[in-house]
Amino acid sequence: MTLNDREFKSAFESMMFIWGEPLDARTAAEAVGLGADEAYGLFKEIQREYDESGRGLAVREIGGAFQFVTRVENFDYLRRLCTPVKEKRLSQAALETLAIIAYRQPVTKGEIDVIRGVKSERIIEGLAKKELVEEKGRADAVGKPILYGTTAGFLRYFGFESLAELPEIDDIEDALRSAEPDATDEPEQISLSLGGTDE
Amino acid sequence: MTYKVRLEVFEGPFDLLVYLIESAEMNIYDIQISEITRQYLEYMAEISSRNLESSGEFMVLAAVLIELKSRMLLPRVRPDGGVEEDPRKELVQKILEYKKFKRAAALLQEQEEWAMLVFEKPQEDLQPFTGEPDVYLKMDIGQFVHAFRMFLSRQERIEEVRRRYERVERQRATTEQKIDHIKGVFAARRAKRLKFGELLEDGADRYDKALTFVALLEMVRNRTASVWQGRSFSEIVVEMGAGGGRRRPVRAGGSFDAE
Repeated sequence: MTLNDREFKSAFESMMFIWGEPLDARTAAEAVGLGADEAYGLFKEIQREYDESGRGLAVREIGGAFQFVTRVENFDYLRRLCTPVKEKRLSQAALETLAIIAYRQPVTKGEIDVIRGVKSERIIEGLAKKELVEEKGRADAVGKPILYGTTAGFLRYFGFESLAELPEIDDIEDALRSAEPDATDEPEQISLSLGGTDE
Repeated sequence: MTYKVRLEVFEGPFDLLVYLIESAEMNIYDIQISEITRQYLEYMAEISSRNLESSGEFMVLAAVLIELKSRMLLPRVRPDGGVEEDPRKELVQKILEYKKFKRAAALLQEQEEWAMLVFEKPQEDLQPFTGEPDVYLKMDIGQFVHAFRMFLSRQERIEEVRRRYERVERQRATTEQKIDHIKGVFAARRAKRLKFGELLEDGADRYDKALTFVALLEMVRNRTASVWQGRSFSEIVVEMGAGGGRRRPVRAGGSFDAE
């Protein structure tokens, strides 16, 4: 018996409802005997349908897994109904460290320390405890330092579908670069010419 | 130019440096090193007065700045006539790199705010859907009784641990009480020296004796009393006040007359 797309999507919806946690498209595909890529495509369709019809539930993707969540716009009503509790927000130091790990992964503690100019060990530990980052292996360098990367929990925490959704930051850098003054413009520098060979 | 800023708000030396550069509205590619170094060191003074944990890391950047300052004063023309690279270049690169991730952190924070508005439901008990309804119902009465006994004995063990834990707490309190008691005995007897036996309360049990001994050891450690013994297993003599180092401590096999 083969199902048509509509029936597959219907099955996936029911499965997401029961599963609660992000449901891996591959797991769902196996359950209905469908290829993983096709299943993924159908999940994306469900997601789009929910968005377009403006339902109170939205389908959120977290790295190839899908989950029903509430729609952002309804937050106020939820709060009036039941004051939902969310865990504390991350500290500035934690966000900084997490940003470096997210954009530079896999990255070692040493590299993070150099960028921040401070030791980040305890902050990394805290992020690992919150399951936002994890060890991704060892760098091929002296002492085989641990390489850190972000987890599916990171995507979930920030509501990213995948790492590709991380906001672009190199644009900022480029913008700064373009503001770079000419190399000849050196107001503070005292240039002494030796031997008067300079123009 | 002076401003007071709470140091705690800076995540590290670069954070402070970026703040100073931006406050002074300096071009990042043309940092006035001497001015920035002066301001930075002002903050350093403040930091060391508070003995912050990370002051060492702030110090490292201070050293870099001072070195830069000195290099800026020197001519930058090499002997072969070529112009040296701007000594500030490396620092600028680091600051740019740091700023980039500080900006990224701010973007993540915005995203975090947004994600906080989204709620999910935790996974519920899936047992009704797994085809294995309530395994406990399959148990016979014997298994059930066994499970219940296990539960009771576990409760007992927990109780036992709790009792012990409390006892430890009580003991700690009584060591201090015992010290007070010993001091009290000395005060009441207006004596400077007493034998160990005289410190014991009437009808003291073994626990009480041990505790008195522990209290004495504590007093010796913090130099409120000194003790000695004529020979092994003889009466311990206790004297209030530290021996000041001249007092010979316990002398095994000695012939020192305690009285």
